Amino acid sequence: MVLAFVILSTAACKENKPPLSPNLAKENKVAMRTVSLYYESQDLLLAPERRDLPLPENPAGALDLVLRELVKGSANAAVPRLLPADTVIRGVYLLPEGTVFVDLGGPTLTQGWATGSHQELMAVYSVVQTVTANFPEARKVRMLVNGEPAETLGGHVSLARSFAPQPSVVAR
Amino acid sequence: MKRFLPLLILAAATILSAQAPNQATLRTPSGDRFVTITHVEGQTFFAADDVMAALGGSVTPDGTGFKATLNNNLAAFGPDSRFGVIRDELIEMPSTPVVVAGRPYVPWQFFQGFLGKTADMDVTWDPVGRVLLARPAQHTVVGVQLSVANIQGISKVVVGLTAPTEYAIVKDQMAYTIHFKTPIRAPFPEQSYDDVYVSKATFAGNDLRLDLKAPDVAADAYKLDNPFRIVLDFHKVAAGPNTIPGLTPSRPVDTPGIHTIVIDPGHGGKEVGAIGPRGLMEKDATLTLCRRLADNLENKLKTRVILTRTDDSLVPLDQRTAIANQYKADLFLSVHMNAAVVKGAHGSETYFLSLEASDELAKKAAEVENAAAKTASAETADLKLILWDLAQQEYLNESSRFAQAVQEEMNRATHVQNRGVKQAPFKVLVGATMPAALVEVGFITNPDEESKLQNADFQKLVIDALTTAVERYKTDYETRIGVIRPPAPAPTASTDKKAGT
Repeated sequence: MVLAFVILSTAACKENKPPLSPNLAKENKVAMRTVSLYYESQDLLLAPERRDLPLPENPAGALDLVLRELVKGSANAAVPRLLPADTVIRGVYLLPEGTVFVDLGGPTLTQGWATGSHQELMAVYSVVQTVTANFPEARKVRMLVNGEPAETLGGHVSLARSFAPQPSVVAR
Repeated sequence: MKRFLPLLILAAATILSAQAPNQATLRTPSGDRFVTITHVEGQTFFAADDVMAALGGSVTPDGTGFKATLNNNLAAFGPDSRFGVIRDELIEMPSTPVVVAGRPYVPWQFFQGFLGKTADMDVTWDPVGRVLLARPAQHTVVGVQLSVANIQGISKVVVGLTAPTEYAIVKDQMAYTIHFKTPIRAPFPEQSYDDVYVSKATFAGNDLRLDLKAPDVAADAYKLDNPFRIVLDFHKVAAGPNTIPGLTPSRPVDTPGIHTIVIDPGHGGKEVGAIGPRGLMEKDATLTLCRRLADNLENKLKTRVILTRTDDSLVPLDQRTAIANQYKADLFLSVHMNAAVVKGAHGSETYFLSLEASDELAKKAAEVENAAAKTASAETADLKLILWDLAQQEYLNESSRFAQAVQEEMNRATHVQNRGVKQAPFKVLVGATMPAALVEVGFITNPDEESKLQNADFQKLVIDALTTAVERYKTDYETRIGVIRPPAPAPTASTDKKAGT
C-alpha cells in the first residue's frame, strides 16, 4: 500500500500536477526543487547535472524520487550511464544518525554485473554524491541489493560499510 | 511440583482462553499485554505498532516503509526487504514484513534485533503458548585464558575466550582494562608476570586489568577469530601523550622479510569482470598475465609465489585474502583490468585499501582509549569494528609503499597514462593481514589498450614492471627492518641472501 502510494505520487509528479490524495500529510507536500544528479564527465570525475523535480518536503520520500531520477540517466545523450540501465531503486531509508540505506535491484545487479573497478567505484559514488549533495541530513550511504546485504555490485567495491562522500572523485 | 501442575495448566489455559486467534501475549518485566498477530504462509507476524506501543515506542509510515521508534532509537523497515536497519546495522528477519490493511506486521526477530541492539534485551517467541517474551539479556558465561609472552621486543598478551564476546578496552596511566560485556569465568584471580612491560593481570567481575611496568607503554589491540582471541601487543611509545596507540605498524613474524607472495588474478568462472569492445574478458587477461608473473617472480626473486586461481574457476573474494592469510603471505597483489563508461579512458592505476574515514577512526580510537568505563552495547559494537580496523591499519602504511612501487614501475616500463596511487574499499583487499595492493593494468574498455593487453610484448613489459616493483618493495622493506644491509653508496643489484621458504 505504501508502495502504491509512492507510485501514485510519482505518477502525479510526472504530470506536474498537485498530488491527488487528500490524505497527504503536510510533510509530504510537494514543491518544485532543483537537484544535482551526478554522472561521469569526460575527465573521469563526477559532475552535477541540475534537474527540476516536484518533490515531497519530507526527505524520506524525496530521496527515493531523486535516486529514481538518477538511474534514468543523463538528459544529455552523450553522458553515459554509470549504473546498469535496468537498475531499479527498490527503497530508500533515511535514519536519524544520517545514514541512508539505498536498496538497489534489477536484472543486471541480481545476475552479476560484468564491470571494472573504475566504473563500479563511480557508480557507487554517483549514488553517494547525489544523496549527500542534495540532502544535508544525509551523511553516509549504505547499499543493499534486492533488500539484502551484498558483497559488491560488480566484484570490486565492498558494500559492507557505509560510504561517506569522497571529494576526490568529484569535479571541482 | 505435582501439586502445582493443575495450577500451571490452569494459568496456561487462562492465557490461551484469553487470547483471541489473532492475538499473542507480549510479556515484559512490567507485565503482560495482548498484541495483534497475523499468519502468512504458516508464519506468524506481529503488528509492529502494537508491540512497539506496548514497549513505550511507536511506528509511523516513512517513505517507502515504516519507522519504529523507542527510547530515541529508530529502526526502519518495509515490505520490500527482510532486513530492517538501525544505525549502521541490519536487523535480519526470516521473511519480509507484510502490510495488511495499511498496518505493518513483522516477524518476532525484528523486535529481537531492535531490543538486542539498543536495550540489551533478549526476545523469544513461544509459538505454543503464543507468548512473545522480552527480558534483560541472559548472558552465558564465557571461559577466559591468558598468556603473556615477549616476542621480538613486543609483549604479546593473548586473551583466549571460549565464545566471541563484546568488550571495551580502557587505558589508564599504568594499566589497560578489558571490560567484557558477557560474564566471564576467570582462570585465576591474580597473577604476576616476569615480563618487560606487563607486571600483573587481575580479574575482578567482568574486568581483566593488566598492570604495566611503565607509563610510556602502549598496546596495539586487535581480535582474531577461530578461536576468538583478543590480542594486545605492548610496546614502548616514543612520542608524547598524543600518540594514539594502535596505529604503530608492528608485525612480528616468524622469519622477517618477504618470502611468500600471493598473486590474485581478478575474477574467474561466471564472474567475467569487464569486457572489452572486441570481447576480451578481464578474467582471461588477468589469468594469462598472472601465471607468467608468478613464474617470473619465482625465478627472479626465489620467493614462494601462490596464485589464488590457476584456471578459469570462480574463487569468492574473501577466499582470495583467506588464501593469502592461510599461507602467511608477506605480500598480496591483485591484478585487474579496468573499465569506464567514458570512451577513451586509459592508463594504469594502483589501489590500496581505504578504511572509510580513517581520521574518524583514529579519533574514535583515541576516545576509546581515554574514555571512562563505558560499556553501552552500541559503543562496544563500534569498538569491535575499530579494533579490527586497527589491525588492518597496521598494514596500510606498508600497502601504500608497495602500491607506490607498483605504480612507478608500471609508469616507467609501459608508458601508459599514470592514473596514480589511490585508495578504495575494495573487497578483495579487506581482511588481508599483510601489505596488499590492487593494480589496474589498463582499460579493457579502451580499444587501444584492449589490443595492448593481448599483445605478448606488452604483457612482458607489465610482468617485468610488476616483478621489479615487488623486488623493489622487498629490498626496501627488508632493509628497513634490518634483514639486509642498506645498499652501499654505489647501488648494486643485490639479491636476497635468504632462501625463500
